[in-house]
Amino acid sequence: MRSRDPGLAALAGPAGPPAPPAGRDSPPDPPDRTGLPGRGARSGWAGGARGAGRHAVLALTAVGVLFPLLWGLSGSFKPGTDVFDANPLPIPATLANYRFALEDFPIARLLLNTFITAAGVTLLQLGAGVLAAWSFVRFSHRGQRVVLAMVTVALVVPPQALIIPQFLMISHLHLRDTFVGLVVPQLSTCALAVLLLREHIRSIPPTLLGAATLDGATHGETLRLVVLPLLRPALSAVAIIVFITTWNEYLWPALAAPSPEHTTIQMGLRLFSNQEGPDYGPLLAAAMLATLPVVAVYLLASRRITDAFLQSGLR
Amino acid sequence: MTPGMFPTRQADLALTPPRALGDGPRDAPSPGAAPPDAGPADTEAETDAVAETETDAVAEASASAGLEASGAAVDDADADVGGVLLDGVVKRYGTQTVLDVPRLHIPHRSFTVLVGPSGCGKSTGLRVVSGLETPDSGTVMINGRDVTTTPPGGRGVSMVFQDFALYPHLTVEQNIAFSLRLEAKHDRRGGPSRAEIARRVTDACEMLGLQPLRRRRPGQLSGGERQRVGVARAIVRRPGVLLLDEPLSALDAQLRQHARAELIRLHRELGNTVILVTHDQLEALSMGTHLVVMKAGRIVQAGSPSDVYRRPAHTFVATFVGSPAMNLHHVDVVSDAQGSRLTAAGMWATVPTAIPLPRVRVGWRPADGTLEPFAAGRPSEPGLSVEGTVDVIEFTGDTAVVHGISQGAAAGRSAHDLPWTVVIPARQPAPAVGERVTVRVPHTHLHLFDPDDGHRLAEGAVG
Repeated sequence: MRSRDPGLAALAGPAGPPAPPAGRDSPPDPPDRTGLPGRGARSGWAGGARGAGRHAVLALTAVGVLFPLLWGLSGSFKPGTDVFDANPLPIPATLANYRFALEDFPIARLLLNTFITAAGVTLLQLGAGVLAAWSFVRFSHRGQRVVLAMVTVALVVPPQALIIPQFLMISHLHLRDTFVGLVVPQLSTCALAVLLLREHIRSIPPTLLGAATLDGATHGETLRLVVLPLLRPALSAVAIIVFITTWNEYLWPALAAPSPEHTTIQMGLRLFSNQEGPDYGPLLAAAMLATLPVVAVYLLASRRITDAFLQSGLR
Repeated sequence: MTPGMFPTRQADLALTPPRALGDGPRDAPSPGAAPPDAGPADTEAETDAVAETETDAVAEASASAGLEASGAAVDDADADVGGVLLDGVVKRYGTQTVLDVPRLHIPHRSFTVLVGPSGCGKSTGLRVVSGLETPDSGTVMINGRDVTTTPPGGRGVSMVFQDFALYPHLTVEQNIAFSLRLEAKHDRRGGPSRAEIARRVTDACEMLGLQPLRRRRPGQLSGGERQRVGVARAIVRRPGVLLLDEPLSALDAQLRQHARAELIRLHRELGNTVILVTHDQLEALSMGTHLVVMKAGRIVQAGSPSDVYRRPAHTFVATFVGSPAMNLHHVDVVSDAQGSRLTAAGMWATVPTAIPLPRVRVGWRPADGTLEPFAAGRPSEPGLSVEGTVDVIEFTGDTAVVHGISQGAAAGRSAHDLPWTVVIPARQPAPAVGERVTVRVPHTHLHLFDPDDGHRLAEGAVG
């Protein structure tokens, strides 16, 4: 949640801001689309025009989003100084960058570190989120509204504002360059998990919880045996969001665990810089490799994410 | 004041079915007058159950006669009998009092129905018994045990919810076994064994015809099947008190009739105390052996269904219970030594009792009136005569409901037309719309209510 996919965004910088190329690419699109319905269905011309406009906007957005990624992908296959070519396609193409990234740098170690960090933060946030959300829904106590308001405020406080106190904290605890120091402070962004899970628990019919209580279930058993199974879609959605966000985190690993033994891949990409500046080819190759796990996770679970966000009810 | 005069405007009298009503010949509960749920007796066990609930109902009728007035001796008797006792229970949400029950005893092994319009506190009452709600004051006793602070799971009660509240991620048999599994887990020595759980789940499934559906999930069941799973889940624990929160309202009309009979049969087989909440007065009359009518968080009347129907303690009960609703008219009273004459626009009545009020409300059930061709003049025998014109006739099969209007001009006092309804057998030739008719009601079927607070005036010779 701190700096949004810094690796990719930073890398895309030299390639030029995404908007102008998108603008240049798009003009052929709208006439093309309006031509289609105009030929066939005369009756639906107005609707066709509107549809074409919508498609144009979507196409523009898609190009804007995809361009940096594609440019980086293309660059990762370009040999040597070809990276600075305006040619969008990597011709001639080479795998040398990937070989360099994989062989001369501890990329496997970095990926493992990142996975440990992301998984740890995800588990911690889910655990804390479920318990907090459950207590918000199940128990009413003094000051609950205040606590809830504070959680909501925590959602809008920029995480960068917390970085310095957190850094000082782990420094004093001698937790720099440890996984504990890397993972635990990232629990501070669990407000989203708490609020999202709270909404989902609230959508469980109260009679269901009453039935469990009458069946003799304790609060913990109700949570474990009734609420959690029903919460599974929401849990996986939250898990994926947290996992991806943590995976892409740059600033905190850079401060908390700068050594290659503990740092994450996003921070590790900096290892590709030397005195002469970044070595762009291998850097782009490593960045592509760093993206793959996240893409895989998203593809596997994208339906669950959208499901969890779209459906608030359970039945 | 003559000795035969009515005791009037006594709040506690009217809140309760007065003990005096046991005097009337119709009040002695004969086996023939068994509550409708009894049905034809097939088995010995059933006859026993009916006899027992019937006795309880009678005992209860007298025990709860005076809500506030009942003595300590009666209290103890209630506690010994078992069942559910709410004593001084008050429940508030914020500043609003949703439940205020000075005293309510639900007889042991009765099928008690809490009935009232929505928002009358009947569901809150049920939740207080279940323990899902904690009363702000008062005590809750179940079978002689004070359970006010006992958590819901330890009260020996179970509940069927309006939406059935089945666990959607569990199969039918897992749903039913849920509470037993928890019990086994919490009490490894005294709880049910694995075999015991399996047996009891099978018993419950068989009882409700769920055997073929055991491995289905709630999402794959129809409304009626879900309701049966909800009931099976509730009875598998063998609860001392089974609570049913409008369990039929989610079913469609045909199924409801069937489910109603099923629940009555179930109560007969289980022989435990059942408390059902409903807003449907027909359901209340037909299912319960004991009826509790509630309004605005308070109990208006408690008693056997026939008692509540025949002697409504309040105009609210009179109009809420029974369909079509009881006719109610404001009438002027002139009393002398022979009795009282009641008059209003288009109607007059004579009753052989003195009434110490200048005005009363007189009520009569639509089914108690007989429809006659218009006849001028006043009959000599006591009773009520209503003159009017036929407005609408509803044919309902066996009967027809005739809606009539009495013109207010006749009395010269009020220009308002007075509507009334009368139920006539369908084989009787129906009058034409617009025809002038006379309705006669014997004085024994008249109900008199205080015109100001709506409480029933005591019976004496009127009823």
